[in-house]
Amino acid sequence: MKGEGEIFVVHRLLDEQICDSDGRRVGRVDDVEIRGNPPRVTALLVGDGLYPRRLPRRLARLARRISGPERWGQNALRIPWEEVDGLSSTVKLRKKAEELGLGMGDDPERWIVRRLPWN
Amino acid sequence: MRAILKIALGIIAAIGGFLDIGDLVFTTQAGALFRYDLLWAVVLGVIGIAVYAEMSGRVAAVSGRPVFDVIRMRTGFGMGLLALVASTFVNLLTLAAELGGIAIVLELLFDAPYSMFVFAGAIALVGIVALLPFGGIERVFGYGGLLLFVVVATVFHQNPDWGDVAHGFVPTLDSSTLYLYFVVGVFAAALMPYEVHFYSSGAIEEGWTEQNLKENRLNAILGYGIGGILSVGLVIVSGYLFHPIGVEPSDLGTVALPMQGAFGETGLLLALAGMLFCVGGAAVDSSFAASYNLAQFLGWEWGRYQGPKKAPRFTASWLVFLLLGIAIAESGINPVEITEYSVVFSVVALPLTYLPVLLIAGDRSFMSDYANGRIATFLGWLYFAVIVVLALAAIPLLLATNAGGG
Amino acid sequence: MTATGRKKARSSAPGLLLAVALLLTSGGCGDLSNDELNRGVESLSALAAQGQLIANGVARDATKATYARVMAKTLSEEADHEAEKLADATLEEPETADQRHAAVAVAGEISGLLSTLQTFPGDERHGELVEKHLAEEEEKADAIVAQLSGDAP
Repeated sequence: MKGEGEIFVVHRLLDEQICDSDGRRVGRVDDVEIRGNPPRVTALLVGDGLYPRRLPRRLARLARRISGPERWGQNALRIPWEEVDGLSSTVKLRKKAEELGLGMGDDPERWIVRRLPWN
Repeated sequence: MRAILKIALGIIAAIGGFLDIGDLVFTTQAGALFRYDLLWAVVLGVIGIAVYAEMSGRVAAVSGRPVFDVIRMRTGFGMGLLALVASTFVNLLTLAAELGGIAIVLELLFDAPYSMFVFAGAIALVGIVALLPFGGIERVFGYGGLLLFVVVATVFHQNPDWGDVAHGFVPTLDSSTLYLYFVVGVFAAALMPYEVHFYSSGAIEEGWTEQNLKENRLNAILGYGIGGILSVGLVIVSGYLFHPIGVEPSDLGTVALPMQGAFGETGLLLALAGMLFCVGGAAVDSSFAASYNLAQFLGWEWGRYQGPKKAPRFTASWLVFLLLGIAIAESGINPVEITEYSVVFSVVALPLTYLPVLLIAGDRSFMSDYANGRIATFLGWLYFAVIVVLALAAIPLLLATNAGGG
Repeated sequence: MTATGRKKARSSAPGLLLAVALLLTSGGCGDLSNDELNRGVESLSALAAQGQLIANGVARDATKATYARVMAKTLSEEADHEAEKLADATLEEPETADQRHAAVAVAGEISGLLSTLQTFPGDERHGELVEKHLAEEEEKADAIVAQLSGDAP
């Protein structure tokens, strides 16, 4: 029965929207890390480096060429389970995005936003 | 009385434009080729989009999930990606067709080159989107779209044989492939998913909750109902004028001819202006739908209300889609031809984005007390069956009839 | 293109399939069957009918000049395109050569009349004349269709 509960959690966790403590959208749960005996969810994995894992073999090869290898800290991030504050229609985190390295794609300081005509 | 007016205005603003170039083209061609015989297919499509929109709006209000959030969550990364790719492809074609449609109408009004108007129209859209608040955008296109009620006036001016018209609402299945192609086309043009994707994301932007469910239902029924009335009107005026003399509408400008015939220059201008607002609204909706879907699938921050600073990738993707749409519209392909393909491909991809919404809308663990009741369940599944049949028939019919060319 | 297409079609089955696919999607360049010639002339009749509506609007001063001009230009180009299609294609049935010749002539007339309208989109007198002449061309086109149907088995 415990095993079924775990599978249900993974089912509801995987592909969910993640929001940080400010409510900003910072990516989706692209994969889930499960460790131990009995198996427990130990971390959420986020990043486009993880997409090839989710695709059937042929597409996975193409995807791997596009996103490159899994570079932890860059295109693949590990969010330890302890950082999760709650689960509703999104996965809510305890900290802000920057503290966890999330949402860097939307970081205005880093992006071409500076070059947009109205900025 | 004031409350009714407020509700009415809200509905008009919610479904900005009502019709797009696909509706304009397919209804006019259907009327010219088959007179009133395809009216039932128009009604079928209008009820279909009301069903899809009501479910999507309800899911958004109750669970906080817009369509592509539902799709990724319910069907996973692989299937979701397929839905995203198909949907983006269709939205791009649609956007290009709408941008081309804007340019054609402007050319008819001001006789300057089409290619100039593609750019001018797109720049005007960027200006409108950047300067007006979200609700204001839809209001502009919604009220402007009401100008097309000159079509309804034309129907009564023509005074067709009402018995024949009534007969058109009874479903009949001619065996000719051209007729079947137009059944698919007219239905698909009424049930364009980008409208619903835009609507559901708009509901989240507006912060909808369970309190908005009544409003959602009114929008779906009355808002799309108005679009339905206009579509029916277009079939009738086209059937009355074009069918007896054998006109084959292959240009967007032809859509306005019946109104010119009935009310002269005034009728023509009202029709063209109404068409401009409808197609303009559709360009905004389809471009946003493309960006909403991409951002929601990948988990980016998104929203018109967020602005470019908080949602830079979403904003950048919107601009990229707009540029791609301009490029296709400028490529020299007739927008009316692009429309034939965008509408047909749209119904082929429709099951992918419809089914997940239907499943979640009926799932009590997401929707608690607001899950599909008996009517919604029945209609939801009935339409899924219809959509699958049409999705399978669409491309064979497209090839067999050479995109309606015969 | 026509000759190569036919040769390829005779040499192998995949080639035949490809040729069929191309024909279905290319809008019919190549051999002109009786049916396709029929379709072509019918579309000329349709163009003439629509042209009359535009011309009528001009004649009654019940339209906008820019609209009439742009519509006349578009329809004129469509008539030209149809003329080229009919003239370039090889006839499947050589007996229809007379009808094809007549059809190309009608297409040219329609295109010319619409060009006139394009030049004078505000002139009521021209509108009347173009409407009248387009009606004549439409009758000619309908007559050609009737002849073709009579010829067909």
